[in-house]
Amino acid sequence: MVAALAAAAFAFVCIQLAPGDPATALGEGVPEAVRERARAVYGYGDPLLVQFGRWVQAMLRGDFGYSTGQHRAALDVVADAIPNSLAIVLPGLLLALVAGSAIGTWQGVYAGSRRDRALSLVAFVLYALPEFFIALTLLTLFSVVWPLFPSGGVVSDMHVYLSPAAKVTDRLRHLVLPSLAVALFGTVTVVRVQRQSMWDAMAQPFVRTALATGLPLHRVYLGAWRASLLPVLTMFGVLLPFAMLGLVFVEQIFAWPGLGLTLFNAINARDYNVVAACIVVQGVLIAVSTVIVDLLREAADPRLVETAMQSAAQRAVRS
Amino acid sequence: MAALSWARATASPRIPPRCMRPAPRTWLRPWRRLLTLIGALSTAGAAACGGGDDRATPGGEIGGTLVVVMPAEPGTLFPPQVAGTQGAAVISALFDKLADIGPALETYGDVGFRPRLARSWQWAADSLSIAFTLDSAAHWHDGAPLRATDVVYTFRVYTNDSVGADAKSLLANIDSVTAPAPRTAVFWFKRRTPQQFYDATYPMYILPAHLLDSIPMERVGRAPFARNPVGTGRFRFARWDAGQRIELITDTTNAAGRAKLDRVIWSIAPDFGAAAVKLFAGEADLLEQIRTENLPQLAQNPSLRLVVNPALSYNFLGFNQRNPADTAKAHPVFSDSLVRRALSMAVDRDRLVRNVLDSLGAVALAPAPRALIADTAAFRSLPYDPAAARALLDSAGWRDSDNDGVRDRNGVVLAFGISVPNSSPTRQRFAVLLQEQFKAIGVKASPVLLDVNAFFERGAKLDFDASIGGWATYPGLVGIRQTWMSNGESNELRYRSPRFDALADSALSAFDRELSRQLWGRAFQQIVNDAPAIWLYEPRPPVAVHTRFVIPPLRADGWWHGLADWSVDPSQRIDRDRIGLAAPGGAR
Repeated sequence: MVAALAAAAFAFVCIQLAPGDPATALGEGVPEAVRERARAVYGYGDPLLVQFGRWVQAMLRGDFGYSTGQHRAALDVVADAIPNSLAIVLPGLLLALVAGSAIGTWQGVYAGSRRDRALSLVAFVLYALPEFFIALTLLTLFSVVWPLFPSGGVVSDMHVYLSPAAKVTDRLRHLVLPSLAVALFGTVTVVRVQRQSMWDAMAQPFVRTALATGLPLHRVYLGAWRASLLPVLTMFGVLLPFAMLGLVFVEQIFAWPGLGLTLFNAINARDYNVVAACIVVQGVLIAVSTVIVDLLREAADPRLVETAMQSAAQRAVRS
Repeated sequence: MAALSWARATASPRIPPRCMRPAPRTWLRPWRRLLTLIGALSTAGAAACGGGDDRATPGGEIGGTLVVVMPAEPGTLFPPQVAGTQGAAVISALFDKLADIGPALETYGDVGFRPRLARSWQWAADSLSIAFTLDSAAHWHDGAPLRATDVVYTFRVYTNDSVGADAKSLLANIDSVTAPAPRTAVFWFKRRTPQQFYDATYPMYILPAHLLDSIPMERVGRAPFARNPVGTGRFRFARWDAGQRIELITDTTNAAGRAKLDRVIWSIAPDFGAAAVKLFAGEADLLEQIRTENLPQLAQNPSLRLVVNPALSYNFLGFNQRNPADTAKAHPVFSDSLVRRALSMAVDRDRLVRNVLDSLGAVALAPAPRALIADTAAFRSLPYDPAAARALLDSAGWRDSDNDGVRDRNGVVLAFGISVPNSSPTRQRFAVLLQEQFKAIGVKASPVLLDVNAFFERGAKLDFDASIGGWATYPGLVGIRQTWMSNGESNELRYRSPRFDALADSALSAFDRELSRQLWGRAFQQIVNDAPAIWLYEPRPPVAVHTRFVIPPLRADGWWHGLADWSVDPSQRIDRDRIGLAAPGGAR
């Protein structure tokens, strides 16, 4: 939490150094007197140190401040965006983890085969494509050429007038394309790590021993797969917070009001408090995902728990 | 482009809405069973969306849903603080003024104004006050009656410094507003002007004092009211899903009669591209400010048509009159009117506008859109004459002494930057073309692409040589006081001309229409000759709208005025038009 607040403070100061302020972000044609009045009301004419002190005091009270761009509490702005981001990131990354792990494991086992090389090429190409290209392609194919899915938005504009069952369907239809974009982007990332990790695991002595002792192949592969999971889980722990705030283009293309788009708009509008609130959320997400990944790593490799317990015991003996 | 029809009210062959068309089957492959399943889900969703109800809403032209897609979300719906066209469109449907300006946008006296919240008005004998009698049937959407104290309160809000209303400067001639009777509001003026009635009625939407009066002025803009407004308009607020949509529904008990449409939804897209996709996918009915690159696609879409939108805006290349290095001093190049005139005469504006905007713009004539200029023949623009431009520069002492293709004088090169905001591709294209035209007369101009915030910040600090700016104006020419007169608070180029000031001030003060017209002609000739800017273009971005809507001619000060009179052709209704005023939750 301390790191998150420090990052938010850093972001708050950095964005203040950028040209303009919330008053310039009011747009063109606004008289300078109106801009000056806005600066006076929000205190953006004050020296940076004064503003920073005011912001720190408010943060210590749990007050994230007021959004000058959206005219409401900055925390409300971020709170509205978090569920939207989670809605596409969680299913997208879960799909990426399952599919990427499966494909990568298969490639690791059959590394060097023609199919492996072909899959590696496809994964490499997809990995090289920017996320906005993937999103645009999906949008063009499945919303414009074959209009199977809506072009954007969390739900359709007539959502509130639908029956409960139709509401669920409507929400799912809107989820498909953005989640698929996240999933594709995540899958190729997982595939590359999983393949290499599985390949390394297959070369481990315990795998050779297991094969030599005549254990069934599926049990050998399962053991190797568990051992190969650690780097994948570590990478997944990085991917989750990145996806929450970093999918600006995906959110923009699918008109999805998530955290990334909120942060992007806040930076453009010089909405300092919303930027800082987004950074705090990012910090918390990193902390939470780190804890979750640690738990998953320990589940995948119980030796980590034993090592941790031994270290704790040694520290206790020393003290 | 040539095939594109510019229709005001033409009907097109009806095509079924996107959600009713059969899904193409050619893509199906066995290995894509998953997609088939998802497709089936989507079809089910579409069916749910349609509901299979073929009944037209009874009542002829009553009923229907308009979905407006907008490429930005308004920050607030509190009228004094609304900035940008998105918020302006919504509050125009929610709130009312005392009287509505006529379609001719006449600002002299009360000619053409139509009663809105005020049923009638009475001028004082000395014309220094106007007493408005409020409509006794008018009420707020929460049921409370409209009172004169609401008008008094509204004036207090709009003129309070801590509120920061953009329109405050337009209210400078109003001394006070009083409420001698519950339904009588009196506006007291400081001096007689031809625009008194306009000043009292146009800038302010009346606010509900009974909901806001207890909130301190410095906090009134932050009140929940700003995102959940209560007005008197023919549409009432229904919901605002942040980042997604704002929905208004018709106020069936409105004193002015219910709106013809059942609801209007402003669907929020994060940028213009996403908004255009939504329009062409049939998920939205209207998108304003269509761009030239969308025209071919629009021409191929029989369910959409373009409607002329005569906007009140103009753009120009402005020359900073102050030295950016020391604003107390005159600009080393642009303080010389000969240089400014030469630069003006070096630009072929007709070709520039045709090149960049095609038919979606016109050459600007003066610091006002031509729709507001009473007599465009009363003054002459500087001609396009590169030879004369070169001669002017020669006479001003700017010559190419070292034959490097760029003029210089006393060791100073005739070079400057043209600031443009990165948010405007149109201005960027103009800057590049201007660079080429100036090069032909030996002037080195370099486009300076700036982040939009940096653009405005530099503009406020006079830290630029030249910039492509623009103004969206109010009806009438009163805005010229702020933008081009010597003491105008928005005179960002610091243009000073006592002669122009005198002529424009006299024109604004003249009660004789013919005299005013003549004075404006002389004022415009003066500023054209002074050339503080090159008047480049008036954008005319049309509105793209679904053909099923029957709409009156759009007003130049905003397409949204008169939205309550828009209707849907009963024979062209689609599913979302048939929902009626059923409560949310699936009731049909």
